[in-house]
Amino acid sequence: MTQPSHARHLVADILDKQIVDAKKVKLGKVDGLVIVLREGKPPRVAFIECGAAVVARRLGRWCERFVLALNRRLGVRAKPRYRIPWSKVTKVDIEVTVDVDEHPLLAWEEWLRDHVVGRLPFAK
Amino acid sequence: MKSGFLQIALGIITSIGGFLEVGSIATSAQAGASFRYGLIWSLVLGTVCLIFLIEMSGRLAAVSKHTIADAVRERFGFNFALWPRLAELIVNFLVLGAEIGGVCLGLKVLTGIEARWWAVPVALVLWFALWVGTLDVIENGTSILGLLTIVFVVAAVKMHPDWLPLLRGSAAPVLPPRDQSAHYWFTAVSILGATISPFMFYFYSSGAVEDGWNEKNLPANRVTAVVGMSFGALMSIGVLVAAAQLFNPRGIDISRYEQIALILTPALHKWGWPVFGGALAVCCFGAAVEISLASAYAIAQTLGWNWGEDEKPAERARFSLTYTILIFLSIVPILLGVDPLKQTIFSMALTAIVLPLAILPFLLLLNDEEFVGSHRNGPIGNTVVVFTIFMASIIALVAVPLEILGGGS
Repeated sequence: MTQPSHARHLVADILDKQIVDAKKVKLGKVDGLVIVLREGKPPRVAFIECGAAVVARRLGRWCERFVLALNRRLGVRAKPRYRIPWSKVTKVDIEVTVDVDEHPLLAWEEWLRDHVVGRLPFAK
Repeated sequence: MKSGFLQIALGIITSIGGFLEVGSIATSAQAGASFRYGLIWSLVLGTVCLIFLIEMSGRLAAVSKHTIADAVRERFGFNFALWPRLAELIVNFLVLGAEIGGVCLGLKVLTGIEARWWAVPVALVLWFALWVGTLDVIENGTSILGLLTIVFVVAAVKMHPDWLPLLRGSAAPVLPPRDQSAHYWFTAVSILGATISPFMFYFYSSGAVEDGWNEKNLPANRVTAVVGMSFGALMSIGVLVAAAQLFNPRGIDISRYEQIALILTPALHKWGWPVFGGALAVCCFGAAVEISLASAYAIAQTLGWNWGEDEKPAERARFSLTYTILIFLSIVPILLGVDPLKQTIFSMALTAIVLPLAILPFLLLLNDEEFVGSHRNGPIGNTVVVFTIFMASIIALVAVPLEILGGGS
């Protein structure tokens, strides 16, 4: 059984790293990993997960429920949990570079830019 | 990448903004008035510890290309990173309020208009400076204005201190009579808290990452840490000695900021009062800039947002909004009429209590080959920092309750 140590390496190397897109825009942190366990083969990372609900879950179920309720109430970001398939990861070094075009992860950033910060003087 | 000279500028601003601020001025002046030279050692000890810690945060940034907040989350995970962040946010909120209060008091000294009326204008100017300024403008502007604080050293020398007792007080504690010892140790803790401010490490390491440091910057980083922090320490010792010369022989304890404003008068005569007001306003403003940015950096880096002072606020909406909210919330205590000197001293002691939480993870990173490779800490650096921090928090845990029970200063 070499899987557990392999999985631990993955967690140490990727979890909580910065995610950036090809243009170096920061998309968030690797808040969670979805790992597929396979019979007789080493486990494989299927997705990297990001979003408030993902980190909240690491603190406890109560926190996740709270974030989900808050997300429904505010409704800025469609999904409080976002998965990026591992196949979209192009590079892992200081940051995890992903090749994705649409960024639902930046929903809050864009909402605040359009509705709050961008409306203040000298913001642009 | 910046030249060595500009890199040292980052160190000097970190020092002026982070070192000589309302906390250091207030705690040093109180120490000098109440215990003459008897607490200079705590400033020296705090500065030695600070030099090591600043050097470490620059080294971590240069070698690993991580800011401290990034590295703490990556190495220890979200669940751990959350707690120091929350503790610092509360402390920073109080300290930022104290710094803005310091600017207001400086303006009060200059104009005679009550400090409370300045809170909103000062918060607006601070916010606007961050909103439109770039890191370069902020660094250089505060560095140049901060040179004004040299007046504290000039004043201290002109007041003819006794050099031998001064050196003795710098080397070891000079204990007061028994009935004053709780206040003595409480003041020592406040000085350590005012000297070793965690926000300086976040500010410095974020600036280093934003300026793209690498291993070639390490020698300059070492010089910066020593020169910049010693400069700040010298100014604080100036405040302490000037207060010792003026108040200690007359048996006056400091309970109001207006008293501290008198420390330049014996040396500068009629200019003493307005120059103090100007110097206080400038260094507190520098510190307020640094704390606002450091808090926003730390939150953005822990949550993976885009951050940076050089972009337009709209391009960094969450980051810019974070410091905006923090600045305007932090003036609430001033508007409610909380005594600025009490808030300052309290928040400095609180800083000393939360220090281990902020520093220990970062010390572990500096001994982790994955982050700093062959540039790991030596035994001396580790020992100095661990010793100082544990000592500061142990004294704090003993002295803070005693001070509160004893009715405070």
